[in-house]
Amino acid sequence: MLQQAFNGLVGGSFYALLALGLAVIFGMLGVVNLAHGAFYMLGAFGAFIALDAFGLNFWVSLALVPLLLGVAGAVLERLFVRRLAPLDPLYNFLFTFGLALILQDLVRREYGVNSQPYPRPRELAGTVDLGLFTYPAYQVFVLAVSAVMCAVVWVVLTRTRVGVIVRAATERPELTRALGIDVGRWVTPVFGFGVALAAFAGVLAAPMRAVNPLMGADLIITVFAVVVIGGLGSVFGSVAAGFAIGLVSALGNLYVPALSQILVFILMAAVLLWRPAGLFGREEAFR
Amino acid sequence: MRITGWSGGLAVAGLLLAGCGGGPGGGGKISDGGVVLAVLNDQSGIYADTSGRLTIEAVRMAVEDYRARYGDKAVAQKIDVVAADHQNKPEIANSKAQELYDREHADVILDVPTSSAALAVATVARNKKKVFIDVGAASTELEGKSCNKYTFHYGYNSYMLAHGTGSEVTKDGGTSWYIVYPDYAFGQDMERTFSAAIKAAGGAVVESDPTPFPNDNFSTFLLKAPGLDPKPQVLGTMHAGGDLVNLVKQYNEYKLRDKGVQLALGLLALSDIHSLGPDALAGTRYTTMWTWSMDDQTRAWADKFQARNGKRPTSNMAANYSAALQYLEAVQRAGTDNSDKVVEQLEGHTFEDMFVRNGTIRAQDHLLLHDAYLSQVKPSSEVKEPWDYEKVIRTIPAAEAFQPQPDPACKL
Amino acid sequence: MIMSRLARSGRGGIALLVIGLLAALVLPWLIYPPVALDIACWALFAAALDLLLGFTGLLSFGHAAFWGGSAYCTGLIALHGGMPFPVAILGGAAFAALLALPIGFLSVRLTGIYFAMVTLAFAQMIYFVANQWRDVTGGENGLQGIPRELFGLDLYDPFFFYYAGLPFVLAGLLAAWRIVRSPFGRVLVSIRDNPARARALGYPVDRYRLLAFVLSAALSGTAGGVFAIGHGFASLDGLYWTTSGQVVMMVILGGIGTLWGGAIGAGVVVQLQDFLATAGFEGIGIVTGSIFIVIVLLFRRGIWGTARHLARRRGLSPAGGSGGGPAGSPGLARAPASPRPAGGPPGATAGERC
Repeated sequence: MLQQAFNGLVGGSFYALLALGLAVIFGMLGVVNLAHGAFYMLGAFGAFIALDAFGLNFWVSLALVPLLLGVAGAVLERLFVRRLAPLDPLYNFLFTFGLALILQDLVRREYGVNSQPYPRPRELAGTVDLGLFTYPAYQVFVLAVSAVMCAVVWVVLTRTRVGVIVRAATERPELTRALGIDVGRWVTPVFGFGVALAAFAGVLAAPMRAVNPLMGADLIITVFAVVVIGGLGSVFGSVAAGFAIGLVSALGNLYVPALSQILVFILMAAVLLWRPAGLFGREEAFR
Repeated sequence: MRITGWSGGLAVAGLLLAGCGGGPGGGGKISDGGVVLAVLNDQSGIYADTSGRLTIEAVRMAVEDYRARYGDKAVAQKIDVVAADHQNKPEIANSKAQELYDREHADVILDVPTSSAALAVATVARNKKKVFIDVGAASTELEGKSCNKYTFHYGYNSYMLAHGTGSEVTKDGGTSWYIVYPDYAFGQDMERTFSAAIKAAGGAVVESDPTPFPNDNFSTFLLKAPGLDPKPQVLGTMHAGGDLVNLVKQYNEYKLRDKGVQLALGLLALSDIHSLGPDALAGTRYTTMWTWSMDDQTRAWADKFQARNGKRPTSNMAANYSAALQYLEAVQRAGTDNSDKVVEQLEGHTFEDMFVRNGTIRAQDHLLLHDAYLSQVKPSSEVKEPWDYEKVIRTIPAAEAFQPQPDPACKL
Repeated sequence: MIMSRLARSGRGGIALLVIGLLAALVLPWLIYPPVALDIACWALFAAALDLLLGFTGLLSFGHAAFWGGSAYCTGLIALHGGMPFPVAILGGAAFAALLALPIGFLSVRLTGIYFAMVTLAFAQMIYFVANQWRDVTGGENGLQGIPRELFGLDLYDPFFFYYAGLPFVLAGLLAAWRIVRSPFGRVLVSIRDNPARARALGYPVDRYRLLAFVLSAALSGTAGGVFAIGHGFASLDGLYWTTSGQVVMMVILGGIGTLWGGAIGAGVVVQLQDFLATAGFEGIGIVTGSIFIVIVLLFRRGIWGTARHLARRRGLSPAGGSGGGPAGSPGLARAPASPRPAGGPPGATAGERC
C-alpha cells in the first residue's frame, strides 16, 4: 500500500513537471501550449539521439537536451507565438496544435513508430532500501529530482526579483506594466523555460518509458485535466495536482481498475462543479 | 480549392475511364484486362513499421515469383499492385476499399491492420463480391460473426497468440499465472483465451487484472505480482507496442525475474525486442506466426527482401507475400479472376510456402490454419547478427494453433 | 446605405444559397459518392461547430464526443432496434444533445482557452468509456454491420444513399442558419462580443451558452448519425481527439463565423485526405499541421471569409473598411468574426492582422 502510494508519486512527478511548464507558460503569455506533449516526446528522443549518435550519456542529456529545446522554444516564441499573442489566445492554441502534429510526424518519418531503446543510467540500476520497502533506484531518483525541480522553481518565483516580476506579470499583467516593468523582456525566456521543463520530463522518462513519437500525445490531455484541477493560473496548484493525480491513479488502478482511466476526468468534473477556477486558482482570472 | 477542383477532375476522368474500361473485349477470363492486387494498410500511423510501405514491396515480390514460376503459362499476364493508406481510420478504409474495387478494379485487397478497419472492409468485400484477405488485424470476429464468403483471415489472430503462449508455457511447468491485459477488445479477447488455455493445460490463474489503455505506468501491477498468494510463476501479458515496452522496462526495474516471476507474452514484434534490447527480454516466451531466421527457406527470402529494401521483413510482410502468392496461385488454378471461382479454389486448399507450413484454408470460416511457433528471446551473447533475436523452441501444429472449431456465429 | 447593403447581401445570399444547393445535389456526380457523403456530413458538423465557435465565441475541442456518440447511438438503434434509419439518426442526435447537457453545464462555466481544454478532456473520457464498454460499443472492433434500409428498400449503393442522407444534412444546415439569424442567435453574438454587457442587460449568459452548446451538439450528432449509417459502422475513431481537431480545422480553413465556410473547409479536407491516402506521401500529420499553422499565421479569415472580404471591399465605398458591420445580419453580411472570450485584448479581431 505504501509502496503503491510511492509509485503513484513517481508517476505524478511527470504530471507535475509537465503541468508546471504548462502553467508557467500560460501564466506569462496566456498561451496554452498544445505542443507541450510533443516537446516532452522530443526530450526523450533527444536523449536517445544523444546516446545513439553522439555517445552522450544520460547525465549529459539531462542537462543538454532541455537547454537545447529550451532555446528552440525561445526561438519559436520569437518567430511565431509572439506574432499571435495580441490576438485571441485560441489562435496560439491552434498554432501549437498544428506544431504538435508536425513534430510528431517528422519524428515518426525519421524513426518510425516503434519504441527506441534507452538504457537506465548505470549509477541508478540497482534498488534502494527505503526502510519499509525496497524500490528501484531510478524511480526514487525521478521522484527526488522532480520534487527538487518543482521546489527550485517555486523558490525562484517567490524569492527572487525575476520571480516576483514573472509572478506579477502572470497574475496582474496590466498593473505590472503600469508600474513601468518591462514584462515583454521576460516572455521569451519564460516560454523557453517552460519548454525546457517538458524536455526535462522527457529525458527523465526515456529510461523507464517507451520512447516513441506518440508518447506525449495522450499524456498531454491528462495533463490538461491535471492543470484544470489545480487551477490553470496557479503554479503551486499545478504541481500539487500533478502529484495528487499520480497518487489517485495508482490507487485507482489497484482498487477500481474499471474506472482508473476516467478517474482523472471524473475528478476534473467534480472540481469544475465545486470550484470552476480549480483548487488553487483565483476566481476572477477565469471570467 | 485547387485541390478540390483537381481531385474532382481526376474523379471525372476516373468515371470516364471506368466507362471505357468496363466494356466488352477483355477476353472473358481476366476482368478489366489484368489482375489488380491492392494493399490497403497503415502507412503513417502505429502500424506503419510492422505493415506499411514495405508490405507493398513484399506483395510485388510475390508477383515476380508468380511470373517467374509460370512465365507464358500464367493465367494472369498483366498484374498490377496498387496501394492506399487508410491512416488507421475505418471510414477511410471503408471508402478506399470501395474505390479500390470500383475504380482501380482491384480483384483482391490485402493486409488491412486495425480491427475496426478490417471489419469495415470485410463488409465492403461482401457487398461487392470481391476477395479480401486480411493479414494485419488480430480480431477473431473476422472469422466469427463478421465472416463472409469473400473474406479470408490469413496469418495470425488473437486466439493463436494467447492460446499458444498460454498452453505451451503451462505445459513447460509454468503452472500458476498472474495475467495483466489492456482493457480493450483485443486485450479482453486475449485474456479469455489465455485463461482457458492455461486451465486446459492444467495450470491456474491466480489473478487477472485489466490495465488502462494506453498506459505508461504499470508499477501498480508489477508491485502486486510477487505478493500474490500463491506467488505466480509466470506473469502473462497481452500488451503490444509502446505499452509493452513500458511494461517490460518496468518489469526489469522491479527485478521480477530475480524474484521468480517469469515473463510470457501474447504478442511480441521483432521491433519490440530491438527497442528493448534482447537482454531486457532474454528468456521471454511468446507465440509467433513466422520469423525470418526460422530456417534456410525463410532466411533465403529474408536475404532477398533485405537486398531489396535494406531491412529484415516482419512476419506481417512475409504473410502478405504469401497471401498474394496464394491468391495468384488460386487464379492460376481457376483459370480466371472471377471472385466466386477464386474463392472456390481457396476454400479447403492445402499448401505450403515460404511462410505457411501445413497450411489449410478452412472452408467453413475462411481461416488459414498453419503451424505457429513458441519462441524465446535470445540473450545478447547468442545474437550472431543484427536482428537475430528469436529462437523457435517448439512448433505448435496447425491443428492446435488456431480455433479447433469454426465459430458457430459464422455463416458464410 | 445600410438598407441597400442589406438588400444586396440578401440577393447575393439567395444566389449563393442556390449555388450551394446545386453543388450539394450534383456532388456525387462529380466525385466518388462515398466521399461526397463524407463531405456532406463533415459540412454539417463544421457548421454545427461554427455555431459555437463563430457565433458564441466558444472553441470546443471535444465535439468528437457528440459526432461519435451519436454514431454509436444511431448504429445501436438501427442495429438492435430494427428502426428505419431516419429514426435512428434522430435518436442519435437526441442522444448527442442529452450528452451535451452535463458536459456543457460544466464547461460553460469557463470560457476561451479553458473551455477548449475542458471539452477536450471530457471527450477523451467518453472515448475511454466507449473503448472499455465493448458489450455495447464493440470496443476497438467498432459497431459493425449497421443496416441501411428504409421500408425494405436497400440503399446500399452509396450514390443513392447520398440522396437519402442529404435531406438530414440540409435540414441541419438550415437549422444552423435559422438559429444564427434568430433573436436567440443575436443574443449569442452579443454575448460573444461582450459578455459583461450582455449580463448587465439581464441575459442569463451561461444558460444561453449552454443552449448553444446543446444545439450545436444535436446538429453534430445529426451529422455523425448520417455518417454512421452511410458507412455502415461506428468506430472509436469518431470519438478520438483527432476528430475534434479535424472539424476545428475545417471551420478555421473555411472561415470562423461564416457558417458556410465550414462546408468548403470540409470539402477541401476530405478531398485532401482522400488524395493523400493514395499519394504515397506518408505524412498526413505534416500536411494537416501545416494547414493549421498557415491559416493561423497568415490566413485567419479562412477561404470563405477572404472571399467575402474581397467581394465586400470591391463593392463597397472605401469608408466601409471599418469592419464594424451592421448589427443586423450576423449570418452572411457581417465583419470577419473572431472568437473573443472574456478578457481578451479589446479590438484584436482576426481580421485586423491579415
